[in-house]
Amino acid sequence: MILSTTDERFGPIGVVDEKQLKLLMKDWRRGRADRSLWQALSDGYVMVFSIVLISAMVISSIVRAQQVVAVCDTAGCLAARGLLPWASVAGILASTLVLSRMFGPVVASAAEGFWLMDGPTDRRRLLSGRLVAAIVLALVIGALLGALIAALTGSPLADVAMWALAGGFGSAGLLAFAAAEQGLDRRWVVTVVQWVIGLAAIGTLVLLVAGAAGWVDLGRAQNLAAELALIVAGAGALLIIVAGFFAYRRLKGVRRNRLTAGGSLLSGLQGAAFALEFALIRDILIEAKSRERGHVKPTRGTGSGMNALIMRDVQRLWRQPLPLLTLAGTVVVPYAVQALGLAQLNPPISGLVLVAALVPFMNSLRVLTRTRGLQRCFPYDPGRVKQAAMVVPGVLALLWAIATLPAFMGVGGGVTVAPFDAASAAVVTALAGFLGAVRWVSARPPDYSGPIVATGLGAMPPGLMFSLLRGIDMVALVTFPIVIGWPVWISLVIGLMAFMFLRSGLDREQLMEQQEEQKRMLEEEKRRRSGELPPKQKIKVQRNR
Amino acid sequence: MAGVAKKDVVLQVDNLKKGYGPVTIVEGFSMKVHAGEAVALTGRNGAGKSTVLRCLVGADRPDEGTVTVNGTKVSETNAEIRRAVATVIDDLDFFPDLSVVEHLDLLARAHGLENPDDLVDEVLEEVQLVPQAGQLPSTLSSGQRRRLALATAFVRPRELLVLDEPEQRLDVEGVAWLGERLKSDLAGGLAIVLASHEPSLLEAIGARTIRLGV
Repeated sequence: MILSTTDERFGPIGVVDEKQLKLLMKDWRRGRADRSLWQALSDGYVMVFSIVLISAMVISSIVRAQQVVAVCDTAGCLAARGLLPWASVAGILASTLVLSRMFGPVVASAAEGFWLMDGPTDRRRLLSGRLVAAIVLALVIGALLGALIAALTGSPLADVAMWALAGGFGSAGLLAFAAAEQGLDRRWVVTVVQWVIGLAAIGTLVLLVAGAAGWVDLGRAQNLAAELALIVAGAGALLIIVAGFFAYRRLKGVRRNRLTAGGSLLSGLQGAAFALEFALIRDILIEAKSRERGHVKPTRGTGSGMNALIMRDVQRLWRQPLPLLTLAGTVVVPYAVQALGLAQLNPPISGLVLVAALVPFMNSLRVLTRTRGLQRCFPYDPGRVKQAAMVVPGVLALLWAIATLPAFMGVGGGVTVAPFDAASAAVVTALAGFLGAVRWVSARPPDYSGPIVATGLGAMPPGLMFSLLRGIDMVALVTFPIVIGWPVWISLVIGLMAFMFLRSGLDREQLMEQQEEQKRMLEEEKRRRSGELPPKQKIKVQRNR
Repeated sequence: MAGVAKKDVVLQVDNLKKGYGPVTIVEGFSMKVHAGEAVALTGRNGAGKSTVLRCLVGADRPDEGTVTVNGTKVSETNAEIRRAVATVIDDLDFFPDLSVVEHLDLLARAHGLENPDDLVDEVLEEVQLVPQAGQLPSTLSSGQRRRLALATAFVRPRELLVLDEPEQRLDVEGVAWLGERLKSDLAGGLAIVLASHEPSLLEAIGARTIRLGV
């Protein structure tokens, strides 16, 4: 039977009240909650205490670092104090635009897109709250990050407040701007602004290092008044009002796909985040990016055998040069850390930055280790396949070590170190970063299908905590001897052992398989003893009398 | 496949048992597959077809019994087994940043082919993915992804081909093409084991049928 629009049983549609719809959704969601917020907090009291404790430790460390750095009056410290907040705030603003472009910034779930936006609803009334929430979130996070960086460079309290305002209002303003562009279904303007601000951030950072190293005279730029940050804050506030107004007006005509694409991405990321699976989060982002790109100009491969896999990784460098630029950008980190007088902590800090910079070069390794189907297509044992996928990132890490050698020697400011010790530190840092990236990319995720352990933080699989620390653990392990002043060869030996472990195909799954096999044999033996299975034929040993 | 005698046993399964937890999926399963022979596993959903195939390629470990390919015990990490067995089962992943044609080029080269252009073009045309040659896998339809998965098995040398419901998501022409393709591979001495619900495909390749779960 076909239902006609003139069917008498269906009355007039009437006026849709979006507010009532939202209240209805809220009611449904609350109706499905099986515990109050207080009950949830009581259940996870250890987690609450842990968060409070860790926050207190972090704040205390920041205050202490601030006090130490505030009295430093070397050229490097002064340059860092003058320019680092500028570079950081520019970085925060560029990141805001990247995230805004990636998600929307205004998003709607697939269900909302299907059930609500398909009907005669006013999208502006449905989404305006979400726009305001996104702007407020950007304001708070931007302010916190701006204040943190300023505090760490030893700036006085008034300056910290000014940088907080610049970071907060700047981020919120740019998010409103991105939302206004979303209403026009346009991306390129946001992309251009993002690149301009991003390049300004990198340029300032390079200038800072060059100034601290004495390569260029920063002149008055070094004493750039922090009050100028208020201009950024003011421009941000103006953008919030103007762009926010346009964004609000354009919400009415925003395309459903632009809203739900970000929503789907967000829900996928939320799922991965609940499982604390950060590598999966990256997989989802890469998948979304490749869907957006859709098509590439195919390039012919080079070589054969394992070389084909290695050369494909080399070709990837040309296809996606941005990670290469980012890696080149991270070369300034050891210079900046050394210039700030933190020579002892340079290997772990720079190593962690290198982990983040090397991960984008390990797409092959990631795909070949996350599922075994594709790896099985290659006619080599898993260890060799993994090793081939590590070659290009390994070479890049080595080049990074060479480029950062002057930093560890103290050429860029800070403590001067003998060339051999500096070279050792550079190699250990690069090794730590490389191994950290390999581990981050290839470690098995926590197994939620296996036994779950009851803890004060709630039920969790046994490998969850290790999964959280993966990558970081390698950097800590390899750089720890240097930090506490032990000879460098200890770090190198640890690094070598870690490499052997990571490259071998002996992963947790194989160990579990072996364990299962042993368990099966034990079970068989038990059944045999209980008489369920026929006994094994006894071997009669012939003995001479 | 030249030089392979028709009667050579390529795959031998003896007394295979596999279960998950307390549920036994397959028990006492044995078979031999010779060069140039196709064996089809059929049966209702959940009968254990995919489980058997996963054990054959080493993706799962049998609880009991042995699986050998050319006399070598199957292990997923054994390079010899990897060289001999081409598989298209449900766990095949793709590189998100490599196009369709680049996947095939890479696999052919990894198997030692110095200049795989002609072979890759030929297979690409066969699986009707020429217009999608430069597309990234995430933008392919489910049927096109299936064709790409099948193509990965055809650009490399193989002695045993293991396919899990290869007709899935293929259109009628696709199933007919697959039948012809497998038939010609069988004539060349390839051994094939497949799980399938498509009688026309099994008929086309003249597969010996083993029904599971009866």
